[in-house]
Amino acid sequence: MGRRRRPAELAGAAGALPEAIAALSRALPAGPSPETFRRAKFDRPEAAPALWRLLFRVLSPPRADGASASRALEAQARWVKAALLTQGYPRLRLARLPDDGSQGSRELLLALSWLLARKPLLEPLLARTRVRLGDELPAFECGALASPSLPAPRLEADGPVDACHLQWLMGKLRFRWRNLMASQQEQCALLGKIHMYTRGCHSDCRLGHLSVAETELLRDPEGGRQLLRRLESENARLGAALEWWRRELVFWQWMDTVLGACPPEAPQPACPPGLGGRGRTAGAWDPAVWELQALQEELQAAVGARRAAWAARVRGQGPEWSAARQAAQEATREAVGRELAALRQAWERGGGPQPHGPLRLVRTEAGAPGGPGLRAVEAIGALKSREACLEAALHQLQAQCRQQLARLAGALPGLLWIPPPGR
Amino acid sequence: MSIVTLQLGQSGNQIGFEVFDALFSDSHCSQGLCSKRENEAYQASCKERFFSEEENGVPIARAVLVDMEPKVINQTLSKASQSGRWKYGQRSCFCQKQGSGNNWAYGYSVHGPRHAESIMNLIQKEVEKCDSLSGFFIVMSMAGGTGSGLGAFITRNLQDQYSNSLKMNHIIWPYGTGEVIVQNYNSILTLSHLYRSSDALLVHENDALHKICAKLMNIKQISFRDINQVLAHQLGSVFQPTYSEEGSSHYRRNPLGDLMENLVSHPEFKLLGVRNIPQMSEHSLAYSTFTWAGLLKHLRQMLISNAKMEEGIDWQVRPPLSGAPTPGKMPVNKNPHFNKSLANLVILRGKEVHSADLGGFKDPALYTSWLGPDNAFNMWKTQRAFNKYEKSAALVSNSQFLVKPLDMIVGKAWNMFASKAYIHQYTKFGIEEEDFLDSFTLLEQVVASYRNL
Repeated sequence: MGRRRRPAELAGAAGALPEAIAALSRALPAGPSPETFRRAKFDRPEAAPALWRLLFRVLSPPRADGASASRALEAQARWVKAALLTQGYPRLRLARLPDDGSQGSRELLLALSWLLARKPLLEPLLARTRVRLGDELPAFECGALASPSLPAPRLEADGPVDACHLQWLMGKLRFRWRNLMASQQEQCALLGKIHMYTRGCHSDCRLGHLSVAETELLRDPEGGRQLLRRLESENARLGAALEWWRRELVFWQWMDTVLGACPPEAPQPACPPGLGGRGRTAGAWDPAVWELQALQEELQAAVGARRAAWAARVRGQGPEWSAARQAAQEATREAVGRELAALRQAWERGGGPQPHGPLRLVRTEAGAPGGPGLRAVEAIGALKSREACLEAALHQLQAQCRQQLARLAGALPGLLWIPPPGR
Repeated sequence: MSIVTLQLGQSGNQIGFEVFDALFSDSHCSQGLCSKRENEAYQASCKERFFSEEENGVPIARAVLVDMEPKVINQTLSKASQSGRWKYGQRSCFCQKQGSGNNWAYGYSVHGPRHAESIMNLIQKEVEKCDSLSGFFIVMSMAGGTGSGLGAFITRNLQDQYSNSLKMNHIIWPYGTGEVIVQNYNSILTLSHLYRSSDALLVHENDALHKICAKLMNIKQISFRDINQVLAHQLGSVFQPTYSEEGSSHYRRNPLGDLMENLVSHPEFKLLGVRNIPQMSEHSLAYSTFTWAGLLKHLRQMLISNAKMEEGIDWQVRPPLSGAPTPGKMPVNKNPHFNKSLANLVILRGKEVHSADLGGFKDPALYTSWLGPDNAFNMWKTQRAFNKYEKSAALVSNSQFLVKPLDMIVGKAWNMFASKAYIHQYTKFGIEEEDFLDSFTLLEQVVASYRNL
């Protein structure tokens, strides 16, 4: 666990700890009160729900919608545990906390500090909730796809699904997509109009024209007041974050005492003894590594036994089906390999890293000297190459589906496939 | 979001004019039975969809007019501008000096390629005037020469050039006893080509409209104008604004998209029919009142029994009972007169629309087994009355409405084809026998799919 070293200006000052915790609480989104932190050190149950919610908020992917935020505490707790495991959080005691979110505030506090210490946590959170004044080009914000997303509610089909019904749903999806395209074109046309009509209105001459948010500001004073309030609260959070970074050493010293307050872990195979102690040097991890390896071997044995048992059961249902399944697995492996190769090619072809991060749309006169930032032509080129990759992937998937359908159709004698008219 | 209308051929232009006129008159009607603010929102929504603004304030229809001869287009243009209330764009027309003699192949293989570029340029100009394009509405006849052949070609071009935009073709189904000998050939060629390149085919049958004029509107000498006005009334009641899903604070922005998503999501089922209730002369309207219960009961029976209007409905037709057929009796599902639906959209306009009960349309027995009423049935509504009708209901239905007429046309065309009658008129201009065979195959498949619902 790496930790930033800061000059020890305020180390040891008694009043500095509450202020540090208060700054952290103000800087975090949905930050719990400083009292909650104190209670968590003593593992008080009433502090647990607030900390579960905080961790859920902190770990959720950037584009998580309101629906996921309002999930029950139980669902959030389960999800937090899974997300922490994915990120490699080592303390199993957290994984064993009850799902109802009623206990474990100290463990949650430890998890929070683990996240804080590991890599920048506040910066991305602050960036996520930035007040955006410009009209943005959303296409280049990467990382949104990479994070683990919340599992969508799965609809189990009860009984056989009618192919006609599927075709209907597919058609509906296509229409909705086309309607979306039309809406987006409308948005572009209207954006263009606003940018053109507000030429010369912006005080910043590099921008030259107003964005939609700025135009609304002028049109609607109430909206302007709300925007001001949002900017003020964002400023407050940024100020709190700066203060936190100045004072955080005191917090880490306090966290050491929190760890010390933990009862020693019961002897379990995968819980390395050296974790709770001082001196987080590499040597302390060796027993952990050894234990983890032992656990992995155990798991592999268990998985192997289960797989053999299942395969035996499945084999009874028909040899050609399991052969088909193995063939499908092989095909999947090949497909993944091909996709990786395609991605590598596209990356090299695209001239290296793609444009990245939020970009504000600025309309300039044709032929005017270019300012900083991405030109539309380059953006279009980047999007086109991404489109080509996705289309290639789509064609591959479609070809696979066709092959699979042909295989299934061939297996049933007397079945005729008649494609629908057109295309 | 805006809809660009393409008026093709004589019937396309005449109908198009009546539709725009009906939409405009309704949106400026003073008897909307709603608050001033709501009326203004309704007007604004209708205007955004169908009209664009010019400097002197006269709205211009978002339309492109195409015909191979100038007479009908000129009449249409002058009728519109004479009214002084709305007009067509000066540069939105394309016409030639000669006709095409009701020859589908000439329209598709000669006129099409020759004039496609100019026509697509006009369409492009119209599209550029829109802030957002919902899709295209193409009005044409099925059995004529210019409208149908050229229309099929242009629709395919639209598919290539605007592949993401929605396309709905409005088709006039010819009279059963039509005057054109080759109308069945034209019909099957048009239908099969449109089925491949369009998203939805909204059909109006001339026979049905004629009956409505005679029986319901009590018109003695029925002209094409009367028929087109009935048609325009039905289309208006579908395409005028309705509340969006979120509630009555906003009007729906993308009616074409929502309609298609609700009704034609399956690629094999693209045929839509329209029914409207009540329909009567303006004179009788002043003396009539209606209840939603009564209107909806009649509309439901019109759907089930495949009636074209609210008079002469066969009340004996019932949906089949669910459950396994009892042994020894006739299989309960074989009810030859029952019109099974794939999907239905009911649009209610007028007073107390919130109190209307649509339970009858949510009966699973009305629908096919693989699409339940949750997916198959949708309802749009608005308090604002349409065209002075205190209460009115429209039904857009993807059902077995057109199985019999389609089967009949295919049968007649096949009989003619078997003896190769008049085929040379088509092969002369590049429509080969194979194209006919492809068309027959596709339409047989469509008929079979609908029959098996």
